[in-house]
Amino acid sequence: MTDVSRRTERFGPDPVIEAYKRDVDRTLIRENLRLTVEQRFDALVRLQQFAEELRRAGGAAPTRDEAR
Amino acid sequence: MTDFRALISRLAGAGVEFIIVGGAAATAHGSARLTLDLDIVYRRTPANISRLVGALAPHQPYPRGAPPGLPFAWDERTVSNGLNFTLTTALGALDLLAEITGGGGYDELLPHSDRLELYGVECLCLGLERLVHVKRAAGRPKDFEAIAELEAIVEERRKLG
Repeated sequence: MTDVSRRTERFGPDPVIEAYKRDVDRTLIRENLRLTVEQRFDALVRLQQFAEELRRAGGAAPTRDEAR
Repeated sequence: MTDFRALISRLAGAGVEFIIVGGAAATAHGSARLTLDLDIVYRRTPANISRLVGALAPHQPYPRGAPPGLPFAWDERTVSNGLNFTLTTALGALDLLAEITGGGGYDELLPHSDRLELYGVECLCLGLERLVHVKRAAGRPKDFEAIAELEAIVEERRKLG
């Protein structure tokens, strides 16, 4: 028996986590499970690059006051 | 940005005994969440600490967020005298952990780890079930979303058989 199933059997599902689980995008999980582990890390690196680019663009954008 | 490929390759290539945990382990198991650093639990033996120090030395490890110019020496003595190190390196952000809440140290985590072939090297990653367990044990509200996603991964994997 696994850690998660043992805990669930003993205490039942955690209502807080169950509430969060409703908002999990399972389509992304299913896509990731089709990838190799290396491909998952490559996707993470692309996501990091995108986040960094967004941060750079956000920092370079004029504030609302500057744009007036 | 963290160069996961380079960090994992350098550590594994140098024979460092470590287990990938945290967000990077979640990525390995299929998480779609963004993580910015590599968290590893390293074995606290003198030989392994020596390998760890040697592997990272060329990449300028330094306490992350600390002001420059601190008398920080990256050597065996520093690692032996400390436990957890939150580092910035030339290859990115790296957290070295002697143990984790709810999971223990390297030797306790080893039976719950998966062996991965990653970037041409073999390395260990904390297993999905144990990752959920330690995240739950940490009890941090910021982990609730991550735990929910990891449990959803457990369920999706089960469906795949």
